[in-house]
Amino acid sequence: MAIPLVPQLLRAHLAELAEQNHRMDGRGQWESREIELQTNVLPNAEGSAMVTMGDTIVYAGVKFQIMTPYPDRPNQGGLMCSAEVRPVAGRNWEAGPPSPESIELGRVVDRGIRESGCIDVDGLCIIPGEKAWQVILDLFAVSDDGNLFDAFALAGIAALRTAIVPEVKYEVSDSDRPLPISKTPIMCSYHKVGGRFVYDADGKEELGGDERIHITLGDDDNVHSLQKGLKGIFTANEFAEIMEHAKSRCGELRDLVHGGE
Amino acid sequence: MGGYGDIQMIDENGIRMDGRKAGDLRPIEIETGVIPVADGSARVIWGNNHAVAAIYGPMEAHPRKIQRQDRAVLDVRYNMAPFSTSDRIRPGFNRRSREISKVTAEALESVVLVEMYPRSKIRVEIEILAAEAGTRCVGITAASVALAHAGIPMTDMVVSVASGKINDVVVCDLNKEEDNYGEADLPMGILPNSGELVFLQMDGDLSQEEFQKAWDYNMNAAQGIHEIMVDALKGGES
Repeated sequence: MAIPLVPQLLRAHLAELAEQNHRMDGRGQWESREIELQTNVLPNAEGSAMVTMGDTIVYAGVKFQIMTPYPDRPNQGGLMCSAEVRPVAGRNWEAGPPSPESIELGRVVDRGIRESGCIDVDGLCIIPGEKAWQVILDLFAVSDDGNLFDAFALAGIAALRTAIVPEVKYEVSDSDRPLPISKTPIMCSYHKVGGRFVYDADGKEELGGDERIHITLGDDDNVHSLQKGLKGIFTANEFAEIMEHAKSRCGELRDLVHGGE
Repeated sequence: MGGYGDIQMIDENGIRMDGRKAGDLRPIEIETGVIPVADGSARVIWGNNHAVAAIYGPMEAHPRKIQRQDRAVLDVRYNMAPFSTSDRIRPGFNRRSREISKVTAEALESVVLVEMYPRSKIRVEIEILAAEAGTRCVGITAASVALAHAGIPMTDMVVSVASGKINDVVVCDLNKEEDNYGEADLPMGILPNSGELVFLQMDGDLSQEEFQKAWDYNMNAAQGIHEIMVDALKGGES
Protein backbone atom coordinates (compact mmCIF):
# COMPACT_ATOMS: atom_id res chain seq x y z
CA MET A 1 0.00 0.00 0.00
CA ALA A 2 1.37 3.38 -0.97
CA ILE A 3 1.34 5.61 2.09
CA PRO A 4 0.52 9.23 1.25
CA LEU A 5 2.77 11.98 2.59
CA VAL A 6 2.66 11.83 6.38
CA PRO A 7 -0.24 14.04 7.34
CA GLN A 8 1.27 16.02 10.20
CA LEU A 9 -1.79 18.24 10.43
CA LEU A 10 -4.02 15.19 10.75
CA ARG A 11 -1.82 13.80 13.53
CA ALA A 12 -1.94 17.09 15.41
CA HIS A 13 -5.70 17.27 15.03
CA LEU A 14 -6.16 13.68 16.26
CA ALA A 15 -3.95 14.39 19.29
CA GLU A 16 -6.03 17.45 20.12
CA LEU A 17 -9.26 15.48 19.87
CA ALA A 18 -7.86 12.66 22.02
CA GLU A 19 -7.02 15.12 24.78
CA GLN A 20 -10.67 16.12 24.93
CA ASN A 21 -11.70 12.43 24.76
CA HIS A 22 -13.23 12.96 21.30
CA ARG A 23 -12.95 11.19 17.97
CA MET A 24 -13.27 12.67 14.50
CA ASP A 25 -16.61 11.06 13.74
CA GLY A 26 -18.01 11.68 17.22
CA ARG A 27 -17.60 8.13 18.54
CA GLY A 28 -16.46 7.24 22.04
CA GLN A 29 -13.04 5.66 22.60
CA TRP A 30 -14.40 2.09 22.67
CA GLU A 31 -17.33 2.59 20.34
CA SER A 32 -17.51 0.81 16.98
CA ARG A 33 -19.01 1.99 13.76
CA GLU A 34 -22.29 0.52 12.61
CA ILE A 35 -21.81 -3.10 11.57
CA GLU A 36 -23.84 -5.06 9.07
CA LEU A 37 -23.32 -8.76 8.42
CA GLN A 38 -24.96 -10.70 5.60
CA THR A 39 -24.32 -14.35 4.81
CA ASN A 40 -24.86 -16.38 1.61
CA VAL A 41 -24.35 -13.36 -0.61
CA LEU A 42 -22.26 -14.98 -3.38
CA PRO A 43 -23.90 -17.67 -5.52
CA ASN A 44 -20.68 -19.45 -6.59
CA ALA A 45 -19.01 -19.72 -3.18
CA GLU A 46 -19.74 -22.68 -0.89
CA GLY A 47 -20.07 -20.21 1.97
CA SER A 48 -19.97 -16.43 1.91
CA ALA A 49 -20.44 -13.28 3.92
CA MET A 50 -20.33 -9.54 3.43
CA VAL A 51 -19.42 -7.21 6.29
CA THR A 52 -19.97 -3.45 6.28
CA MET A 53 -18.34 -1.40 9.05
CA GLY A 54 -18.97 2.26 8.30
CA ASP A 55 -17.43 2.79 4.85
CA THR A 56 -15.35 -0.40 5.04
CA ILE A 57 -16.84 -3.24 2.99
CA VAL A 58 -15.40 -6.74 2.65
CA TYR A 59 -16.46 -10.12 1.34
CA ALA A 60 -15.40 -13.59 2.41
CA GLY A 61 -15.86 -16.64 0.21
CA VAL A 62 -15.25 -20.31 1.00
CA LYS A 63 -14.21 -22.82 -1.67
CA PHE A 64 -13.11 -26.45 -1.30
CA GLN A 65 -10.43 -28.55 -2.95
CA ILE A 66 -9.33 -32.14 -2.55
CA MET A 67 -5.83 -32.35 -1.03
CA THR A 68 -3.41 -35.07 -0.04
CA PRO A 69 -3.14 -35.02 3.77
CA TYR A 70 0.23 -34.06 5.25
CA PRO A 71 2.31 -37.16 6.05
CA ASP A 72 2.37 -36.34 9.79
CA ARG A 73 -1.40 -35.78 9.89
CA PRO A 74 -2.86 -38.42 7.58
CA ASN A 75 -6.36 -38.13 9.08
CA GLN A 76 -6.79 -34.39 8.73
CA GLY A 77 -7.90 -31.90 6.15
CA GLY A 78 -6.61 -28.36 6.08
CA LEU A 79 -7.45 -24.68 6.05
CA MET A 80 -5.94 -22.08 3.77
CA CYS A 81 -6.78 -18.45 4.35
CA SER A 82 -5.69 -15.61 2.14
CA ALA A 83 -6.56 -11.92 2.02
CA GLU A 84 -6.53 -9.75 -1.06
CA VAL A 85 -6.82 -5.98 -1.04
CA ARG A 86 -7.02 -5.04 -4.67
CA PRO A 87 -6.89 -1.48 -5.99
CA VAL A 88 -10.68 -1.40 -6.16
CA ALA A 89 -10.69 -0.90 -2.38
CA GLY A 90 -9.03 2.49 -2.26
CA ARG A 91 -6.76 4.95 -4.01
CA ASN A 92 -3.69 3.93 -2.00
CA TRP A 93 -3.90 0.21 -2.79
CA GLU A 94 -1.89 -0.77 -5.85
CA ALA A 95 -2.06 -3.59 -8.37
CA GLY A 96 0.60 -6.26 -8.35
CA PRO A 97 1.75 -9.13 -6.18
CA PRO A 98 0.30 -9.27 -2.64
CA SER A 99 1.66 -6.44 -0.49
CA PRO A 100 3.17 -7.14 2.96
CA GLU A 101 0.08 -5.46 4.44
CA SER A 102 -2.37 -7.82 2.77
CA ILE A 103 -0.21 -10.84 3.63
CA GLU A 104 -0.21 -9.81 7.29
CA LEU A 105 -4.00 -9.37 7.16
CA GLY A 106 -4.51 -12.87 5.82
CA ARG A 107 -2.07 -14.50 8.21
CA VAL A 108 -3.40 -12.85 11.37
CA VAL A 109 -6.99 -13.78 10.51
CA ASP A 110 -5.82 -17.30 9.59
CA ARG A 111 -4.11 -17.81 12.97
CA GLY A 112 -7.16 -16.72 14.94
CA ILE A 113 -9.40 -19.19 13.12
CA ARG A 114 -6.88 -22.03 12.97
CA GLU A 115 -5.71 -21.88 16.58
CA SER A 116 -9.22 -21.66 17.99
CA GLY A 117 -9.69 -25.20 16.69
CA CYS A 118 -13.12 -24.21 15.44
CA ILE A 119 -12.87 -26.39 12.33
CA ASP A 120 -12.96 -30.14 13.00
CA VAL A 121 -10.06 -31.05 10.72
CA ASP A 122 -10.54 -34.78 11.41
CA GLY A 123 -14.02 -34.40 9.97
CA LEU A 124 -12.46 -33.26 6.69
CA CYS A 125 -10.67 -36.55 6.04
CA ILE A 126 -12.04 -38.55 3.10
CA ILE A 127 -9.53 -41.43 2.76
CA PRO A 128 -6.81 -41.45 5.46
CA GLY A 129 -3.41 -40.65 4.00
CA GLU A 130 -4.86 -40.15 0.52
CA LYS A 131 -7.66 -37.64 0.30
CA ALA A 132 -8.99 -34.88 2.48
CA TRP A 133 -10.85 -31.62 2.07
CA GLN A 134 -8.92 -28.40 1.95
CA VAL A 135 -11.02 -25.43 3.02
CA ILE A 136 -10.00 -22.25 1.26
CA LEU A 137 -11.13 -18.99 2.79
CA ASP A 138 -10.61 -15.97 0.54
CA LEU A 139 -10.99 -12.53 2.09
CA PHE A 140 -11.65 -9.77 -0.41
CA ALA A 141 -11.93 -6.05 0.34
CA VAL A 142 -13.95 -3.76 -1.92
CA SER A 143 -13.87 -0.58 0.18
CA ASP A 144 -11.14 0.23 2.73
CA ASP A 145 -11.97 2.87 5.31
CA GLY A 146 -9.91 1.30 8.07
CA ASN A 147 -9.91 -1.80 10.30
CA LEU A 148 -9.89 -4.40 7.54
CA PHE A 149 -8.60 -6.87 10.16
CA ASP A 150 -11.85 -7.02 12.13
CA ALA A 151 -14.00 -6.87 9.01
CA PHE A 152 -12.08 -9.78 7.43
CA ALA A 153 -12.15 -11.87 10.62
CA LEU A 154 -15.88 -11.36 11.08
CA ALA A 155 -16.74 -12.06 7.43
CA GLY A 156 -14.36 -15.05 7.47
CA ILE A 157 -15.87 -16.85 10.45
CA ALA A 158 -19.42 -16.07 9.30
CA ALA A 159 -18.67 -17.49 5.82
CA LEU A 160 -17.07 -20.63 7.29
CA ARG A 161 -19.98 -21.21 9.66
CA THR A 162 -22.42 -21.21 6.73
CA ALA A 163 -20.23 -23.20 4.33
CA ILE A 164 -21.43 -26.40 2.68
CA VAL A 165 -18.94 -29.14 1.74
CA PRO A 166 -19.63 -29.91 -1.97
CA GLU A 167 -19.49 -33.70 -1.65
CA VAL A 168 -21.78 -34.34 -4.61
CA LYS A 169 -19.85 -32.17 -7.07
CA TYR A 170 -16.57 -33.88 -6.18
CA GLU A 171 -18.22 -37.33 -6.11
CA VAL A 172 -17.20 -37.96 -2.51
CA SER A 173 -20.68 -38.94 -1.35
CA ASP A 174 -24.25 -38.49 -2.53
CA SER A 175 -25.15 -35.60 -0.26
CA ASP A 176 -23.55 -32.29 0.68
CA ARG A 177 -23.02 -31.48 4.35
CA PRO A 178 -22.27 -28.41 6.44
CA LEU A 179 -18.61 -27.75 7.20
CA PRO A 180 -17.87 -29.27 10.64
CA ILE A 181 -17.28 -26.14 12.71
CA SER A 182 -18.09 -25.67 16.36
CA LYS A 183 -16.66 -22.40 17.67
CA THR A 184 -16.71 -18.73 16.79
CA PRO A 185 -13.37 -16.96 17.24
CA ILE A 186 -13.72 -13.17 17.09
CA MET A 187 -11.06 -10.52 16.50
CA CYS A 188 -10.99 -7.04 18.03
CA SER A 189 -8.46 -4.44 16.86
CA TYR A 190 -7.19 -1.33 18.61
CA HIS A 191 -5.17 1.55 17.21
CA LYS A 192 -3.07 4.09 19.06
CA VAL A 193 -4.51 7.41 17.89
CA GLY A 194 -3.45 10.71 19.41
CA GLY A 195 -1.61 8.89 22.20
CA ARG A 196 -4.39 6.56 23.35
CA PHE A 197 -5.87 3.32 22.08
CA VAL A 198 -9.25 3.38 20.34
CA TYR A 199 -11.41 0.53 19.09
CA ASP A 200 -12.31 0.12 15.38
CA ALA A 201 -10.21 2.89 13.84
CA ASP A 202 -11.39 4.31 10.54
CA GLY A 203 -9.17 5.15 7.57
CA LYS A 204 -8.19 8.61 8.81
CA GLU A 205 -7.35 7.34 12.29
CA GLU A 206 -5.17 4.60 10.76
CA LEU A 207 -3.42 7.18 8.59
CA GLY A 208 -2.72 9.53 11.48
CA GLY A 209 -2.20 6.85 14.14
CA ASP A 210 0.62 4.69 15.44
CA GLU A 211 0.76 1.05 16.45
CA ARG A 212 -2.16 -1.34 16.39
CA ILE A 213 -2.99 -4.45 18.41
CA HIS A 214 -5.20 -7.33 17.28
CA ILE A 215 -6.71 -9.82 19.72
CA THR A 216 -8.66 -12.95 18.77
CA LEU A 217 -10.72 -14.54 21.54
CA GLY A 218 -12.55 -17.86 21.44
CA ASP A 219 -15.94 -18.85 22.86
CA ASP A 220 -14.58 -19.15 26.40
CA ASP A 221 -12.51 -15.94 26.15
CA ASN A 222 -9.38 -18.00 25.53
CA VAL A 223 -6.76 -16.06 23.60
CA HIS A 224 -6.05 -17.53 20.17
CA SER A 225 -4.03 -14.91 18.36
CA LEU A 226 -2.30 -11.64 19.10
CA GLN A 227 -0.50 -9.29 16.79
CA LYS A 228 1.16 -5.97 17.33
CA GLY A 229 1.63 -4.03 14.11
CA LEU A 230 3.43 -0.84 13.09
CA LYS A 231 5.92 1.29 14.98
CA GLY A 232 5.04 2.22 18.56
CA ILE A 233 5.35 1.44 22.24
CA PHE A 234 2.58 0.31 24.57
CA THR A 235 2.40 -0.42 28.29
CA ALA A 236 1.11 -3.45 30.18
CA ASN A 237 -1.67 -1.31 31.62
CA GLU A 238 -2.78 -0.20 28.18
CA PHE A 239 -2.88 -3.82 27.09
CA ALA A 240 -4.90 -4.88 30.12
CA GLU A 241 -7.47 -2.20 29.34
CA ILE A 242 -7.75 -3.35 25.73
CA MET A 243 -8.13 -6.97 26.78
CA GLU A 244 -10.95 -6.02 29.16
CA HIS A 245 -12.80 -4.33 26.31
CA ALA A 246 -12.13 -7.19 23.91
CA LYS A 247 -13.71 -9.67 26.32
CA SER A 248 -17.06 -7.89 26.29
CA ARG A 249 -16.96 -6.85 22.62
CA CYS A 250 -16.11 -10.33 21.30
CA GLY A 251 -19.23 -11.66 23.02
CA GLU A 252 -21.42 -9.09 21.29
CA LEU A 253 -19.93 -9.84 17.88
CA ARG A 254 -20.27 -13.59 18.46
CA ASP A 255 -23.98 -13.04 19.08
CA LEU A 256 -24.13 -11.10 15.81
CA VAL A 257 -22.58 -14.03 13.92
CA HIS A 258 -24.86 -16.58 15.58
CA GLY A 259 -27.91 -14.38 15.00
CA GLY A 260 -27.28 -14.41 11.23
CA GLU A 261 -27.32 -18.21 10.98
CA MET B 1 -17.66 -22.63 -27.48
CA GLY B 2 -18.05 -26.14 -26.20
CA GLY B 3 -20.30 -27.31 -29.00
CA TYR B 4 -21.75 -30.34 -27.21
CA GLY B 5 -24.73 -30.16 -29.55
CA ASP B 6 -26.57 -33.07 -27.98
CA ILE B 7 -27.53 -31.12 -24.86
CA GLN B 8 -31.03 -29.75 -25.36
CA MET B 9 -31.12 -26.17 -24.09
CA ILE B 10 -34.24 -24.84 -25.81
CA ASP B 11 -37.53 -26.67 -26.28
CA GLU B 12 -39.82 -26.91 -29.31
CA ASN B 13 -41.81 -23.89 -28.05
CA GLY B 14 -38.68 -21.78 -27.98
CA ILE B 15 -38.46 -21.75 -24.17
CA ARG B 16 -34.95 -21.88 -22.70
CA MET B 17 -33.84 -23.85 -19.62
CA ASP B 18 -34.30 -20.84 -17.34
CA GLY B 19 -37.75 -20.09 -18.78
CA ARG B 20 -36.72 -17.23 -21.06
CA LYS B 21 -37.73 -16.78 -24.67
CA ALA B 22 -35.00 -16.33 -27.30
CA GLY B 23 -34.84 -12.54 -27.11
CA ASP B 24 -35.16 -12.18 -23.31
CA LEU B 25 -32.48 -10.85 -20.98
CA ARG B 26 -31.72 -12.21 -17.53
CA PRO B 27 -32.90 -9.94 -14.67
CA ILE B 28 -30.60 -6.93 -14.23
CA GLU B 29 -30.23 -4.77 -11.10
CA ILE B 30 -27.89 -1.79 -10.92
CA GLU B 31 -26.98 0.30 -7.88
CA THR B 32 -24.58 3.23 -7.65
CA GLY B 33 -22.45 4.45 -4.76
CA VAL B 34 -21.73 0.95 -3.44
CA ILE B 35 -18.02 1.65 -2.78
CA PRO B 36 -18.04 4.69 -0.47
CA VAL B 37 -14.29 5.39 -0.66
CA ALA B 38 -14.26 5.58 -4.49
CA ASP B 39 -14.93 8.67 -6.63
CA GLY B 40 -17.68 6.75 -8.40
CA SER B 41 -18.95 3.19 -8.19
CA ALA B 42 -21.62 0.78 -9.32
CA ARG B 43 -22.76 -2.76 -8.66
CA VAL B 44 -24.45 -4.78 -11.40
CA ILE B 45 -26.28 -7.99 -10.60
CA TRP B 46 -27.14 -9.59 -13.92
CA GLY B 47 -28.55 -13.09 -13.60
CA ASN B 48 -26.05 -14.76 -11.29
CA ASN B 49 -23.25 -12.36 -12.21
CA HIS B 50 -22.23 -9.94 -9.46
CA ALA B 51 -19.82 -7.20 -10.53
CA VAL B 52 -18.64 -4.03 -8.84
CA ALA B 53 -16.77 -1.20 -10.52
CA ALA B 54 -14.90 1.65 -8.82
CA ILE B 55 -13.49 4.82 -10.36
CA TYR B 56 -10.51 6.70 -8.89
CA GLY B 57 -9.40 9.94 -10.47
CA PRO B 58 -8.70 11.75 -12.67
CA MET B 59 -5.32 11.73 -10.90
CA GLU B 60 -1.67 12.21 -11.79
CA ALA B 61 -0.60 9.48 -14.18
CA HIS B 62 2.25 7.37 -12.90
CA PRO B 63 4.44 5.62 -13.80
CA ARG B 64 5.43 8.59 -15.97
CA LYS B 65 5.81 6.53 -19.11
CA ILE B 66 2.04 5.98 -19.35
CA GLN B 67 1.37 9.75 -19.42
CA ARG B 68 0.00 11.28 -22.62
CA GLN B 69 0.54 14.99 -23.21
CA ASP B 70 -2.83 15.52 -24.89
CA ARG B 71 -5.22 13.27 -22.99
CA ALA B 72 -5.98 11.12 -19.98
CA VAL B 73 -5.29 7.39 -20.03
CA LEU B 74 -7.74 4.86 -18.65
CA ASP B 75 -6.07 2.36 -16.33
CA VAL B 76 -8.56 -0.49 -16.45
CA ARG B 77 -8.33 -3.68 -14.46
CA TYR B 78 -10.85 -6.49 -14.91
CA ASN B 79 -10.43 -9.21 -12.31
CA MET B 80 -12.32 -12.25 -11.08
CA ALA B 81 -12.39 -12.84 -7.32
CA PRO B 82 -11.08 -16.27 -6.26
CA PHE B 83 -14.55 -17.39 -5.12
CA SER B 84 -16.37 -16.08 -8.20
CA THR B 85 -16.50 -19.35 -10.13
CA SER B 86 -17.31 -23.00 -9.58
CA ASP B 87 -13.61 -23.90 -9.23
CA ARG B 88 -11.51 -21.45 -7.24
CA ILE B 89 -9.37 -19.06 -9.29
CA ARG B 90 -5.82 -18.46 -8.12
CA PRO B 91 -5.39 -14.75 -7.45
CA GLY B 92 -3.38 -12.71 -9.93
CA PHE B 93 -3.52 -11.59 -13.52
CA ASN B 94 -3.87 -14.11 -16.29
CA ARG B 95 -3.99 -13.84 -20.08
CA ARG B 96 -7.78 -13.77 -20.18
CA SER B 97 -8.18 -10.95 -17.66
CA ARG B 98 -5.43 -8.96 -19.36
CA GLU B 99 -7.15 -9.16 -22.71
CA ILE B 100 -10.53 -8.24 -21.26
CA SER B 101 -8.94 -5.30 -19.39
CA LYS B 102 -7.40 -4.11 -22.65
CA VAL B 103 -10.55 -4.26 -24.79
CA THR B 104 -12.58 -2.73 -21.97
CA ALA B 105 -10.15 0.19 -21.71
CA GLU B 106 -10.30 0.73 -25.45
CA ALA B 107 -14.10 0.68 -25.43
CA LEU B 108 -14.35 3.18 -22.58
CA GLU B 109 -11.62 5.46 -23.99
CA SER B 110 -13.82 5.82 -27.04
CA VAL B 111 -16.53 7.61 -25.04
CA VAL B 112 -14.70 9.34 -22.18
CA LEU B 113 -13.68 12.92 -23.08
CA VAL B 114 -10.05 12.10 -22.34
CA GLU B 115 -8.79 15.33 -23.94
CA MET B 116 -10.15 17.23 -20.95
CA TYR B 117 -7.55 15.71 -18.62
CA PRO B 118 -4.10 15.76 -20.26
CA ARG B 119 -1.29 13.90 -18.47
CA SER B 120 -3.70 12.29 -16.01
CA LYS B 121 -5.10 8.84 -15.51
CA ILE B 122 -8.49 7.55 -14.54
CA ARG B 123 -8.46 4.23 -12.72
CA VAL B 124 -11.30 1.86 -13.56
CA GLU B 125 -11.42 -1.19 -11.28
CA ILE B 126 -13.80 -3.98 -12.27
CA GLU B 127 -14.19 -6.89 -9.87
CA ILE B 128 -16.30 -9.93 -10.68
CA LEU B 129 -17.51 -11.33 -7.37
CA ALA B 130 -19.70 -14.02 -8.91
CA ALA B 131 -19.55 -15.18 -12.51
CA GLU B 132 -22.25 -16.87 -14.53
CA ALA B 133 -21.63 -16.00 -18.18
CA GLY B 134 -21.00 -12.74 -19.98
CA THR B 135 -18.85 -11.20 -17.24
CA ARG B 136 -17.00 -8.92 -19.69
CA CYS B 137 -20.33 -7.38 -20.74
CA VAL B 138 -21.40 -6.99 -17.11
CA GLY B 139 -18.02 -5.44 -16.31
CA ILE B 140 -18.14 -2.88 -19.14
CA THR B 141 -21.71 -1.95 -18.24
CA ALA B 142 -20.79 -1.56 -14.55
CA ALA B 143 -17.73 0.54 -15.45
CA SER B 144 -19.85 2.84 -17.64
CA VAL B 145 -22.31 3.50 -14.82
CA ALA B 146 -19.45 4.02 -12.35
CA LEU B 147 -17.77 6.54 -14.69
CA ALA B 148 -21.02 8.47 -14.99
CA HIS B 149 -21.48 8.26 -11.21
CA ALA B 150 -17.98 9.70 -10.78
CA GLY B 151 -18.96 12.64 -12.98
CA ILE B 152 -16.44 11.82 -15.70
CA PRO B 153 -17.59 13.52 -18.92
CA MET B 154 -18.55 11.06 -21.65
CA THR B 155 -20.26 11.29 -25.03
CA ASP B 156 -22.43 8.30 -24.07
CA MET B 157 -22.43 5.29 -21.77
CA VAL B 158 -21.35 1.95 -23.21
CA VAL B 159 -23.99 -0.76 -22.92
CA SER B 160 -22.53 -4.20 -23.36
CA VAL B 161 -24.51 -7.34 -24.07
CA ALA B 162 -23.94 -10.64 -25.86
CA SER B 163 -26.09 -12.88 -28.00
CA GLY B 164 -25.26 -16.33 -29.27
CA LYS B 165 -26.50 -19.62 -30.60
CA ILE B 166 -27.74 -22.72 -28.79
CA ASN B 167 -29.04 -25.83 -30.53
CA ASP B 168 -28.99 -23.87 -33.82
CA VAL B 169 -31.26 -21.17 -32.38
CA VAL B 170 -30.01 -17.59 -31.97
CA VAL B 171 -30.72 -16.30 -28.45
CA CYS B 172 -29.94 -13.18 -26.45
CA ASP B 173 -27.83 -13.02 -23.26
CA LEU B 174 -26.44 -16.54 -22.79
CA ASN B 175 -26.53 -18.06 -19.31
CA LYS B 176 -23.89 -20.45 -17.94
CA GLU B 177 -25.00 -23.67 -19.62
CA GLU B 178 -25.77 -21.88 -22.88
CA ASP B 179 -22.32 -20.28 -22.83
CA ASN B 180 -20.58 -23.58 -22.01
CA TYR B 181 -22.40 -25.75 -24.53
CA GLY B 182 -23.60 -23.20 -27.09
CA GLU B 183 -22.26 -22.79 -30.59
CA ALA B 184 -21.50 -19.07 -30.76
CA ASP B 185 -21.13 -15.93 -28.65
CA LEU B 186 -21.23 -12.34 -29.93
CA PRO B 187 -20.54 -9.70 -27.26
CA MET B 188 -20.91 -6.06 -28.32
CA GLY B 189 -20.45 -2.65 -26.74
CA ILE B 190 -23.13 -0.29 -27.97
CA LEU B 191 -23.68 3.45 -27.60
CA PRO B 192 -27.43 3.54 -27.07
CA ASN B 193 -27.98 7.12 -28.25
CA SER B 194 -26.31 6.71 -31.63
CA GLY B 195 -26.33 2.96 -32.22
CA GLU B 196 -22.56 3.08 -32.74
CA LEU B 197 -20.20 0.39 -31.45
CA VAL B 198 -17.02 0.60 -29.38
CA PHE B 199 -16.52 -3.06 -28.51
CA LEU B 200 -16.97 -6.20 -30.58
CA GLN B 201 -15.82 -9.77 -30.17
CA MET B 202 -17.15 -13.08 -31.43
CA ASP B 203 -16.30 -16.72 -31.35
CA GLY B 204 -18.09 -19.77 -32.65
CA ASP B 205 -20.02 -20.43 -35.81
CA LEU B 206 -22.81 -18.23 -37.20
CA SER B 207 -24.30 -18.01 -40.69
CA GLN B 208 -24.73 -14.53 -42.15
CA GLU B 209 -28.44 -14.65 -41.24
CA GLU B 210 -27.78 -15.89 -37.71
CA PHE B 211 -25.13 -13.23 -37.25
CA GLN B 212 -27.58 -10.51 -38.27
CA LYS B 213 -30.18 -11.86 -35.87
CA ALA B 214 -27.72 -11.91 -32.96
CA TRP B 215 -26.63 -8.38 -33.86
CA ASP B 216 -30.25 -7.17 -33.84
CA TYR B 217 -30.94 -8.86 -30.49
CA ASN B 218 -27.99 -6.99 -28.98
CA MET B 219 -29.06 -3.66 -30.46
CA ASN B 220 -32.58 -4.05 -29.07
CA ALA B 221 -31.41 -5.30 -25.66
CA ALA B 222 -29.05 -2.33 -25.31
CA GLN B 223 -31.97 0.10 -25.20
CA GLY B 224 -33.62 -1.71 -22.30
CA ILE B 225 -30.36 -2.05 -20.37
CA HIS B 226 -29.61 1.64 -20.94
CA GLU B 227 -32.87 2.55 -19.21
CA ILE B 228 -31.88 0.51 -16.15
CA MET B 229 -28.47 2.24 -16.11
CA VAL B 230 -30.05 5.69 -16.29
CA ASP B 231 -32.57 4.82 -13.57
CA ALA B 232 -29.73 3.66 -11.29
CA LEU B 233 -27.91 6.96 -11.79
CA LYS B 234 -31.06 8.98 -11.10
CA GLY B 235 -32.06 7.01 -8.03
CA GLY B 236 -28.69 6.09 -6.56
CA GLU B 237 -26.98 7.83 -3.68
CA SER B 238 -24.68 10.58 -4.80
